[in-house]
Amino acid sequence: MATRELIEAPGAGGQPEDQRGPGNSAFRAWAANRRAQAGAGIIVALAAFCFLGPLFYHTNQVTVNLNAATLPPGAGHPLGTDGDGYDVLGRLMVGGQSSLELGFAVAAATTVIGTLYGAIAGWAGGIVDMVMMRVIDTFLALPMLVLLLILVTIFTPSLLMIILLLTALSWLGTARLVRGQILTIRTREYVQAAKTLGGGQWWVMRRHLVPNALSVIVVSATFTIADAILMLSVLSFLGLGLPPPAADWGSMLTDGLNYLFDGYWWMVYPPAIVLIITLIAFNLIGESLRDSLDVRLR
Amino acid sequence: MTSYLARRAAQAIVVVIGVMIVTFILIHLVPGSAARAALGVHATSTRIAIFNTTYGLDKPVYIQFADYVGQLFRGNFGISYTLQQPVSTLITQRLPGDILLLGVSTVLAVAIAIPLGIYQAVKRNRLSDQLLDGVSFTLYTMPDFFVAFLLIALFAVQLHVFPPEAPQASNLGGMLADPGALVLPIATLTVSNLAGFSRYMRAAAIDVLAEDFLRTARAKGLPERLVLARHVLRNSILPIVTLIGLTFPNIVAGAVIVETVFSYQGMGLLFFQAATSHDYPVLLGTTLIIGAATVVGNLGADVAYGILDPRIRHGNA
Amino acid sequence: MRTSRRLAVTAAKAGVKARTTARAAAAIAATAVVAVGIAACSGSGGSSAIGSGNGTAATGQKIQGGTVTVAWPDGSAPNLIFPLPPATNTNGYDLNFTQMMWPYLVAEGDGGQSAIDPKESLYSSLAWSNGDQTVTIKLKPWKWSDGVSITSRDFTFVYNLLKANVPNWIGYTQGLFPDDVKSVQTPNSATIVLNLTRSYNPDFYAENVLSQIPLLPQHAWDKTSVTGKVGNDDETTAGAKAVWNFLQKEGGDMSTFTTNPLWKVVDGPFTLASFNSDGNYTYVPNKNFSGTVPAMSKVVNEQFTSDTSELDALRAGSTLTVGQLPQNDVSQIAILKSEGYDVVNQPIPGVAGTLLNFYNAQTGPLVRQLYIRQAMEDVTDRPQIVSKIYDGYADPGNGPVPTTAFSQWSSPLEKSGGPYPYDPAKAVSLLKAHGWKVTPGGTSTCQSPGTGATECGAGITKGEQLSFQLLYSAGTTTNDEMEAAIQSSSEQAGIKLSLKSEPFSTLASTLGQCTASSHPASTCGWQLVDYGYDPYSLYPTGNSIFNTDGVNNLGGYSSPEEDTLINETEYGSSAKTFDQYEDYTAEQLPWLWVPLPSTIQVYKSNLGGFAPLNPFSGGINPEDWYFTK
Repeated sequence: MATRELIEAPGAGGQPEDQRGPGNSAFRAWAANRRAQAGAGIIVALAAFCFLGPLFYHTNQVTVNLNAATLPPGAGHPLGTDGDGYDVLGRLMVGGQSSLELGFAVAAATTVIGTLYGAIAGWAGGIVDMVMMRVIDTFLALPMLVLLLILVTIFTPSLLMIILLLTALSWLGTARLVRGQILTIRTREYVQAAKTLGGGQWWVMRRHLVPNALSVIVVSATFTIADAILMLSVLSFLGLGLPPPAADWGSMLTDGLNYLFDGYWWMVYPPAIVLIITLIAFNLIGESLRDSLDVRLR
Repeated sequence: MTSYLARRAAQAIVVVIGVMIVTFILIHLVPGSAARAALGVHATSTRIAIFNTTYGLDKPVYIQFADYVGQLFRGNFGISYTLQQPVSTLITQRLPGDILLLGVSTVLAVAIAIPLGIYQAVKRNRLSDQLLDGVSFTLYTMPDFFVAFLLIALFAVQLHVFPPEAPQASNLGGMLADPGALVLPIATLTVSNLAGFSRYMRAAAIDVLAEDFLRTARAKGLPERLVLARHVLRNSILPIVTLIGLTFPNIVAGAVIVETVFSYQGMGLLFFQAATSHDYPVLLGTTLIIGAATVVGNLGADVAYGILDPRIRHGNA
Repeated sequence: MRTSRRLAVTAAKAGVKARTTARAAAAIAATAVVAVGIAACSGSGGSSAIGSGNGTAATGQKIQGGTVTVAWPDGSAPNLIFPLPPATNTNGYDLNFTQMMWPYLVAEGDGGQSAIDPKESLYSSLAWSNGDQTVTIKLKPWKWSDGVSITSRDFTFVYNLLKANVPNWIGYTQGLFPDDVKSVQTPNSATIVLNLTRSYNPDFYAENVLSQIPLLPQHAWDKTSVTGKVGNDDETTAGAKAVWNFLQKEGGDMSTFTTNPLWKVVDGPFTLASFNSDGNYTYVPNKNFSGTVPAMSKVVNEQFTSDTSELDALRAGSTLTVGQLPQNDVSQIAILKSEGYDVVNQPIPGVAGTLLNFYNAQTGPLVRQLYIRQAMEDVTDRPQIVSKIYDGYADPGNGPVPTTAFSQWSSPLEKSGGPYPYDPAKAVSLLKAHGWKVTPGGTSTCQSPGTGATECGAGITKGEQLSFQLLYSAGTTTNDEMEAAIQSSSEQAGIKLSLKSEPFSTLASTLGQCTASSHPASTCGWQLVDYGYDPYSLYPTGNSIFNTDGVNNLGGYSSPEEDTLINETEYGSSAKTFDQYEDYTAEQLPWLWVPLPSTIQVYKSNLGGFAPLNPFSGGINPEDWYFTK
């Protein structure tokens, strides 16, 4: 995660943009960005696949059917079946629902908590900032795995529980990022100028800090979605994911990998490809957002 | 500057202590007894009692903590419940393996990322850049374990070129004696890191390439090759150093996923097995080391930041 | 319930990819066991063979020498070389490790038979007298590897050490050896006379007690420090404690396993040539072994931390001679056969089940009702699980006795499929007959609470849901699939199972014994748990598993009739009594019976002496192996 912060730090490359007013032109610039188009397009298609797909393509993702286990793609099962007899294509759709819901939920919660925390720390400064940051450092220094394993054994994993867990781990990074951004902006000349001109604290925050920090927040939120979806698949790999019969791409991939030697490719590559495409899409959106929003701050 | 360093160092120590306390509390919050976890479902109450007495688990938590800290000051990290070996021995056995794994993969990743990033920056938005960008993007988003399995499927299962398991030797010499088995784990980590590093390098190099002083250099008649080597490289490397500082803790934390997939006997696997088997001493010991390394790494990164941006240095950090 | 040494695995060794069914008995749990008395388990090996699998013995000329490489699962790295581990020892493989060098007085498993192995045991005769209260043990005229004879002094050395240091011995059961020994006499160097505090069934004592005792070289080990002299320190309590502590300490120093002169004095077929702390070690034959010196010149024991890497080593046609095939890779058998391996199915002599907590605060009252247990068993399609998930390589789980491993002890009822064949309609009608509203696909609820014949039962409230949490051990794909299949088929009767998988040690840490008198929330919060299986010894008695307050009876099942039947199987001698116990237990469902996957052993086809397998040693008897041309 730390690496991500550096790579996504504002000002790290981008395309030259015109310097027109905020908001409107930013959105237009972003929309014109080819990456943004690709990313957004993929997400929309994916959401349709996951949420609308099952309405047209009915499969039973709850009842185990051992007689139909590990069938290769063929009649009735375009992508074959997995070890429990579930139809792979249908499971991809239903699994995507959990992944997408989780991604957005984690990103939303993380953004709210992290932004509040980081903004307070960055704006207050002094001892308050120092203490708040050391608290974050402590939790960041803890190997994430300890927290995950401990929390997972205490609570039975459900989608809600995993959302809470991942939020608890992700908000730290967002808070640090926001605080850093606030710090940088605070010292900017125009803020100093605004304060000299007599603008109150709240006004300065609303007019300058928040809009400028917003770009960082939005970018970070987008990447958080991707990270959360990725973390879910890692959790499944470690055996800490959603319990059966819940479907999600990560556990499909992990279960499929157990059959690697048997050549049951349809259990491995479809979930992997869908997962990677989703992550790429969110990363594309995030990068294009960063390119079109942050550059204007330089 | 020194007062800044001193301040941050003092804070770092506080953080490490904090890590220790939080881990201790968390571990003891977990329901279930370490004795049962270690001895299994059929353990008699006699054995459980002996186990608890031997390891002081029947004392109140704060006394256990005090005992632990006392032992730490004497350099004693305790004994692993499941492996029955001193924790310090286990750590010193496993650490070199991780230094090898992460050190080599980081060096390789950086060594490839730097020229690759500069190349991409120079050929910005051209076909080669787009292609490489696409590839690095895909690799960047792929989960580690999937990269690992792809490599295993291709090189171990299909082609039988490399074994699918890392060397099982308990010391560095033994590991190095079987270099073929080291290839896939190192390759996995290199590939994962490479993608991120090269993207970063590309962005940093693009920034530098736009700088004015380059125009001056070129106007002076400096060949492009030297422009790249002398100015672009030197100026975009500094942030990479910071990046390495931030990945330093990984050398100690190991890479749990990669170690699990390849059965690489490193700190990551040790830590994961301890976490799933209630092996408190190992868990505490490794968490402590990882926490300390993270703090040191962060400190290093912060110092580098401070060097780069004086405004932050004297602000509220 | 005594467990076989060679099968000993502490399942707590489960890491990420736990193989709870591999080669495993539960941890060396010495539990309270009373007499086992069946004439079949005598030194003459009268009982019929136990599931020797369907492997074929290698044909061809036997050759001397060769290196055989054996694969061991994750977590099997030994860490103690002293053959009497303390109570805190968590590594079940230590005994596998030391048994090759210091065998037991009584050796279990003779080829494929569940009998004592006379040629590997250290005694030449056991004679009982004085109303079975005195046993006279005559030792074989064997020697230690340094040429000194094995004598009765070596036995009293072990006895003195144990007497002074129990309960801190992993094999200790209160009331048994050495507690039950009134006095020990050694009339000569080859004879030991034990006067016991009570009379015992001779077969039980030989099989369950004497088979835990190795002989140790008093002439080399009876000292208290590295430079000290060998003396008779063990004859005083303080001295025996000092010797014990010294030997435990030396025995834990892995870096000196091969160099410490103490461990070079062995009386078994092998001695240790090399040892790596990661679990890879090599035996070479003990040239001075008084029995048959093994044909192999080297036995390399390699630890694999995952199924996948072991499988790939097998497929790569490597040096691996003996390994195991993970259950979900049975499709690889054809490929392995083409690479020169043979595959043999080894049924595990144990009983698998889903344990029920009769004293859980929420679900205890539910499982206490027999008809609910019957419904849960009726709704599980065990034959389909065996054929689809395990490809036939599993015991069907028809009752307390595994029919594939113990065919001679299986009753006709069990052999015909057990009292509960797959019948979801029956499950539904059972529930309805007791006042439940059955909601297939949902959760059934109790409509008629009360204790009448057509009512739900004591402690069950109106509207209570038939819902349970099933805890199981993570890490094995086929096990995950089985639990998912059980969950899915239970829905036909509206029985809702929510699954939770945990690493084995996490599972173990929250499980404890739950009885009527004691069921603390910290260890009795579980409702249903499937942790693997309980191993049986030569005689598959239900003692400690199904009797009231039995140590392995975690759920608290209690039935006076069950207790009586179990006692009768141990003191009586009629085979019919055993059938009675077996059928009653199968019907009463103290556990829900589930299939038990077998071990699939893979070995190079030119390895002779491998099959038939001894199920009590996990099939690993390198002293019997040889290569053929």
